[in-house]
Amino acid sequence: MRRVILTIVGTIAGLVALLSFKSHLPTVPSASVSNTGGSTSTGGSSTAGSSSTAGTSGTGGSPAPSSSAATVPGEFPMGSLAGKLPAGETAVTGHVATTVYGPVQIQLIMRNSKIVKVAVLQQPMNTANDIQIGEFAFPKLIGETLTAQTAKIDAVSGASYTSAGYIQSLQSALDNRA
Amino acid sequence: MTSVARRPAPARHAGAEAYPGHRQPAVPPRSGSSRGPRARPRAVRPQKEGGRVSARVVLSVITLGAIAVIALWWHSTPDVSGLGGWLTGAGEALGLLAGYGVVVLVALMARLPPLDRGIGADQLARWHAMGGRYVVSVVWAHALLIVWGYAVQAHTSVTGETATLLTQYPDVLMATVGGFLLLGVGLISMRAARRRVRYETWYYLHLYTYLAIALAFSHQFADGAAFVSNLAARFWWSAMYLTVAVLIVWYRFAVPLRAFARHSFHVIGVRQEGPGVVSVYIGGSRLDELDAEPGQFFRWRFLTRSMWWSSHPYSLSAAPGKDVLRITVKDLGDHSQALARLRPGTRVLAEGPYGAFTATGSGRGVVLLAGGVGITPLRAMFATLPGPVTLIYRASSPQDVVFADELDAIAAARGAVVHYVIGSRAELGGDPLSPRVLRSLAPGLDQQDVYVCGPDGMTSAAITALRAAGVPKRSIHRESFEF
Repeated sequence: MRRVILTIVGTIAGLVALLSFKSHLPTVPSASVSNTGGSTSTGGSSTAGSSSTAGTSGTGGSPAPSSSAATVPGEFPMGSLAGKLPAGETAVTGHVATTVYGPVQIQLIMRNSKIVKVAVLQQPMNTANDIQIGEFAFPKLIGETLTAQTAKIDAVSGASYTSAGYIQSLQSALDNRA
Repeated sequence: MTSVARRPAPARHAGAEAYPGHRQPAVPPRSGSSRGPRARPRAVRPQKEGGRVSARVVLSVITLGAIAVIALWWHSTPDVSGLGGWLTGAGEALGLLAGYGVVVLVALMARLPPLDRGIGADQLARWHAMGGRYVVSVVWAHALLIVWGYAVQAHTSVTGETATLLTQYPDVLMATVGGFLLLGVGLISMRAARRRVRYETWYYLHLYTYLAIALAFSHQFADGAAFVSNLAARFWWSAMYLTVAVLIVWYRFAVPLRAFARHSFHVIGVRQEGPGVVSVYIGGSRLDELDAEPGQFFRWRFLTRSMWWSSHPYSLSAAPGKDVLRITVKDLGDHSQALARLRPGTRVLAEGPYGAFTATGSGRGVVLLAGGVGITPLRAMFATLPGPVTLIYRASSPQDVVFADELDAIAAARGAVVHYVIGSRAELGGDPLSPRVLRSLAPGLDQQDVYVCGPDGMTSAAITALRAAGVPKRSIHRESFEF
């Protein structure tokens, strides 16, 4: 009996020690933005402005993330919307932000300089849990974006890396908007 | 002149895989062979040091493996933050440990000769039983922590997250079935349940662990953050599973069949040794190549219509001969009753020899301490150990004494001493194996090697008494058939 208790206590203590080492690392998640990503691909067609036919150019830079991703359930647009925009809207694609869980890339749909939609072009999908976290986190992040209209939004708890990647990609898209 | 066999029946096993095999030594039949019971001590083969590993080495290797597993977790985990992160992180680390633990548990029972010879099947079975309880607990802690952690991260309910995991996550449903199988096997192996279950039932239900491990395998790679993007980890993890699978197939199937082909084991005859005790003589060719030693046991599978499907461990009850082995079995279960009806010529599959309960060849005096049916392996050692030997034979009643004639004959021939300590504790007026009694029965006890064989309770009590009598731990050798 004593041995049983010792084993249980020892296991728990070991786990707590192990995890606390990990949690003492710098906790600010980082996402690096790669210039090779989709940065150049501002949407809204090459004819700058915001004229009628929306950007066919959105497909330019980003590495075709959309088609397969479209099968994943989620409450947010996935894959580029650049090809099917109504008149008056343009698509602006952000850089690929690399997180430890995988790349994040988003696309903004603008109308009259306002963000009206956000599509997710790339997200971490290594594990089913990554996808589940995305399904939970992206709708929140998108909602915040539409409200704030800037990249100054809060990270979603439980999805700090994904949030950081989203914000990075969002910022680059906003920078590219011009 | 009877000896006893290890208890085949359900009764008290704590529950690991090797049903405690109690090994009975085998001696050539008295009449048949020209040699008869060995009267003269024969030189004991020098112990083969090669091919044995010590408990310390094995435990170190297991620990190093666990550290490597934790390192894998460390490598694949960016950081741990928030309640969800802590729960998920702990769940992942435990999941990796469980995936490693099941492999270790199976490997311990793979009948690897270096392990069996170096550590002993009974000790391995004890480790397996302890480790089994631990690993089943870890498996379930892993499952519950992951469900909880994911639920916290995704801000859903635990129930909802359970449903999500079972239906949306690849292979998690299969792994869950495997987890329930493991839990079931663990429960029937617990002491209380074990007593009510027949040996064969328990044994065959144990085989479901292989199914459980197979069912749980794929979810590790499909869902485990440590593996999904780490090809090297997947490779080495698979290699670990594959290696153990190959060892199991080789040592549990191929080697026994090869031995059967080479040695043609078959029943020569059966002898009633006393009430409820039978000896079975098993013949074969080139048995000396087996290198069996007194004190070891084999797992026997008698190929009759009613017995072929289960194997039982019985010790040799006499020193192994060139063309005959003897086991002696006390009538404790269906199987041992059926042994009495074996016909000469019945073919036998024998796995072995197993067991680390053999002479050390230290050259010092030896004390053999037998409890009840534990006399069988000691009977074989008594005839063959070199140097001065004292046998102390504890039995609760005169009917329980087996091999008395043989033991007396051996004692007379080699000038050794047998002390029979017979009767219940009350009849004997006190502890029959107290340190004081032991010292008086075997003068110079603390300078000798002591071999103890008997039921678990008896061996534990005897070892405590021996330690109190000043015998160093390393001089005590134990074989417990109930483990």
